[in-house]
Amino acid sequence: MARLDDIPEPTRTAVANIPCPAFESTPFVAGPALSERRVAIVSSAALIRRGDKPFPFGSGEYRAVLGTWDNADILMTHVSINHDRSGFQRDLNVIYPIDRLRDLAAERIIGSVADTHYTVMGSTDPAAMVEAADAIAAAMHADNVNAVVLAPV
Amino acid sequence: MLEERGLPTTALALVLPQVQNTRPPRALMTPFMLGRPLGEPNDAGFQRRVLLQALHLLEREDGPVILEHFPDDNPSWLDRPGWVPAVTLPPLGQYNGGAAWEAAFRAELSLVLPVWDRFRARFGRTTVGLAGQPPEAWPGFAAALLDGALPTVPSHDTSALAMRFLADDLKALYGEAVQADGGPPSARQIDQWFWYATVAGQLLIALRRVAMESDNNALKTVGGRFFVPTPFVPK
Repeated sequence: MARLDDIPEPTRTAVANIPCPAFESTPFVAGPALSERRVAIVSSAALIRRGDKPFPFGSGEYRAVLGTWDNADILMTHVSINHDRSGFQRDLNVIYPIDRLRDLAAERIIGSVADTHYTVMGSTDPAAMVEAADAIAAAMHADNVNAVVLAPV
Repeated sequence: MLEERGLPTTALALVLPQVQNTRPPRALMTPFMLGRPLGEPNDAGFQRRVLLQALHLLEREDGPVILEHFPDDNPSWLDRPGWVPAVTLPPLGQYNGGAAWEAAFRAELSLVLPVWDRFRARFGRTTVGLAGQPPEAWPGFAAALLDGALPTVPSHDTSALAMRFLADDLKALYGEAVQADGGPPSARQIDQWFWYATVAGQLLIALRRVAMESDNNALKTVGGRFFVPTPFVPK
């Protein structure tokens, strides 16, 4: 609908001032060259497969997005109506760049694309997502992922 | 949170204050609209530039914190000159009561649905699919709500949720139909058309008003927050 600077008040201030967690430390995990990275996406768009239940408002859950799903069956259930949807309507990759990752893997610019990606409901309190983060991290380690693209909407 | 668990991350950021507050290990700040972390639809080259710049942050060793800025607006940020909506609609009228809204919305849908079919054929996709009822059922459902009933559908637990996802689908169907032809208009052009030139947009504004006056708290909350974006709520 508009980028931040163009959202009228009071919504702009509300978005800009959403309480953010203050992390005590800033971890920094090193890794190999990009050509040896196995890359996964985490989207905050509350993606579902057509026919599945939408994410409830405020949910701290996560869901897997399988690489085998047809792009045309992936829907967004993010709660905000102040996000643009017109780009997503034309092209899933504008929020979830799965085809672009596949392009880069085919060209050997990245090592590979993970089999499974993950999605959560943006605007949820991060404190409610600790279990989700644990589960996503464990699954990614099991899939040998060593690079994560965080794609908030 | 994932970096703390041993996974290198790179973020596509849209809201600078949030990046400054949370200080993720690596972030690419982009100038795009909320809802478009890759910027431009159907432009693989543009999306690739965004993604590659974010991925290359993973190879830097001078963090944390690494924050880079993507330099360019996406092409359809600007209004498309001479853009003509793919859907041609008659001027809006005045509608009072559920029956009048139902008739007007049904008549409008009969013009929009064939164009929506064209969008689906062209792009091979639709983001409509959350309402739990087909478009042909939407006018009757909305009219019942306007008249004070609380209709439901099997796939949603409450009338409020059913209407919330019908609103999502309605906006998606119109947003897709109006983009059926040509290059992408700006999001502003689509919004202006939907909220000022369609019965559907006016119907959502009317539904918001009714929902907010409802004794049903769920409908009141959903109507106030999820039907009409702030810029288009009548003053």
